[in-house]
Amino acid sequence: MDDATKLEQLVDYIMQNCLWQFNSRAKDRRKQNVGVLTKTAQILCDEPVDNPTPLDKCYWVDAVCLARAYRERYPWLATMDKTAIKTLMQKLHERMDWLTIDGSLNEELTVQHY
Amino acid sequence: MPYHEFECSKVIPERKQHAVIKGAGEDLTSCLPKGYLNTIPGSISERGCAYCGAKHVIGTPMKDVIHISHGPVGCTYDTWQTKRYISDNNNFQLKYTFATDVKEKHIVFGAEKVLKQNIIEAFKAFPEIKRMTIYQTCATALIGDDIEAIAQEVMDEMPDVDIFVCNSPGFAGPSQSGGHHKINIAWLNQKVGTLEPKITSDYVINYVGEYNIQGDQEVMLDFFKRMGIQVLSTFTGNSSYDDLRGMHRAHLNVLECARSAEYLCDELRARYGIPRLDIDGFGFEALGNSLKKIGLFFGIEDRAQAIIDEETAKWKPQLDWYKERLQGKRVCLWPGGSKLWHWAHAIQAEMGVKVISVYTKFGHQGDMEKGISRCGEGALAIDDPNELEGQEALRMLKPDVIFTGKRPGEVAKKMRVPYLNAHAYHNGPYKGFEGWVRFARDIYNAIYSPIYQLSGVDISKDEIATDKGFVTRRMLSDAGLSDEIKSLPTLTEYTGKYDCVTDLRGRTYPDFERKTAATAAE
Ligand code: SF4
Repeated sequence: MDDATKLEQLVDYIMQNCLWQFNSRAKDRRKQNVGVLTKTAQILCDEPVDNPTPLDKCYWVDAVCLARAYRERYPWLATMDKTAIKTLMQKLHERMDWLTIDGSLNEELTVQHY
Repeated sequence: MPYHEFECSKVIPERKQHAVIKGAGEDLTSCLPKGYLNTIPGSISERGCAYCGAKHVIGTPMKDVIHISHGPVGCTYDTWQTKRYISDNNNFQLKYTFATDVKEKHIVFGAEKVLKQNIIEAFKAFPEIKRMTIYQTCATALIGDDIEAIAQEVMDEMPDVDIFVCNSPGFAGPSQSGGHHKINIAWLNQKVGTLEPKITSDYVINYVGEYNIQGDQEVMLDFFKRMGIQVLSTFTGNSSYDDLRGMHRAHLNVLECARSAEYLCDELRARYGIPRLDIDGFGFEALGNSLKKIGLFFGIEDRAQAIIDEETAKWKPQLDWYKERLQGKRVCLWPGGSKLWHWAHAIQAEMGVKVISVYTKFGHQGDMEKGISRCGEGALAIDDPNELEGQEALRMLKPDVIFTGKRPGEVAKKMRVPYLNAHAYHNGPYKGFEGWVRFARDIYNAIYSPIYQLSGVDISKDEIATDKGFVTRRMLSDAGLSDEIKSLPTLTEYTGKYDCVTDLRGRTYPDFERKTAATAAE
């Protein structure tokens, strides 16, 4: 399976099943993407995850569930080494930023107040 | 952009930007309709007003409150008893509705006096109720009545009462969603933090954006209590006014309907540092994941898993009975705001149906982002449709069933498309594991109702077969099923009771020991 297909599968799972990527404002979406996807990458690479604040813990909760779903649905993840997983997760992060923030057609993302 | 132009709306060219068909390879950067804009003149919208959104959807589910509309009685009439947000105090908020009955003379001379008189009269009529919400309407907003001042006067004169003022007249936004926004922010600014709640658990949440439609909130509360979680407040279904004043003390905001209540969660996150966890209470997998996430947050995931195992073992075979009979059925998912994304993926994955169209009356582009992501290629997504567009879409798509509100629902029925009430439900609750089976049963009953075969026969000209008996629902649904599936002993129809909510009210819950003496003393 090529990298593009793998990336597509990872994106697809998030878009079909998750809600954390769709906060209403761009600034929050960026924080959510960083928070959840960074921690998901750490979990998938068996690295320790630090959750100093309740907000971090909340990102971690979504990250744990995402990492579990990925491992369960995409057995090809187990055949990748950690550097390759990191690179793939970095690409996933970029793609999610594009789909939900930078390339988004949602005109409310930049409204200043909630 | 894959816009879809309706024939009937060619005379309103701006409408074209409000409908898209998701094509192959389309994603959110190329396929998203406009949303949350003023309805275009000439388009007969199905939306409600901002007063209605504030009062009818969000304010009134609070159960121990006199909800009074300051305005002509017509505004109130339209919001009375049309939703099924029940409560465990004998449905006080549904049974009684209050209005100041503003008339022409009040418009000329002012309506503040009549407002004060009404407030006092209402409190006297229900002396056990000490809390009130007052809703502004168009007429009283335009004449400049100062509701806050009157409410303060009454509170000064009657120190045991507390009043919340919602300043969201009908024109305060493009749709009812403007009212959701206004009441979220008003509640936060006026009431959150004005009462200190009693903390009884190590795990404390607010359950936000949940309105107890036919008992949804009570079903979810049962799960939370079984996990030893204290639900400080529910915003707002079946909740007490005073509980909602203590929202600032929760450790986590669990957000269900982001459309109507995310503003509150976002502000609570910004002002009090309380995290926002978005969940789906609909569907076995999504609900299971939601409970697990809350469990993970508090370090009690095992308690969530125990519930999931127990409920799944009991209800999954019944869900699957319906799934076998709903395979491939084509659904128009046309609710108000959030259910287009709450349901889109879950009904396809767990009931085998196919969502061929989503629409939203008052959703924002954010809701369409979620909805379009969760449905497949070829789906038609419409923002703020007018009635003619709805009819044209039904003729074009020929769905097997439509989930929508009762106004478009009745139109669909006349076009011989079975309809389920997506707002107030048919035989809810639909949340929870059992609730999801009830939803599947309602879909099954709608699609296979024999009336749809009979209603297609025109007795004035069609020949009526006299040698055939009545075709039952089961005969219709099982006609294409293999014998193997039909005889599977593990799959059964829904076995629950007509009322699956009342018993929950008397349930006792395990007493989980708290972690530290210090926290226990709180
Ligand atoms: S639009 Fe104004 S007048 Fe009409 S129901 Fe709403 S508040 Fe009342």
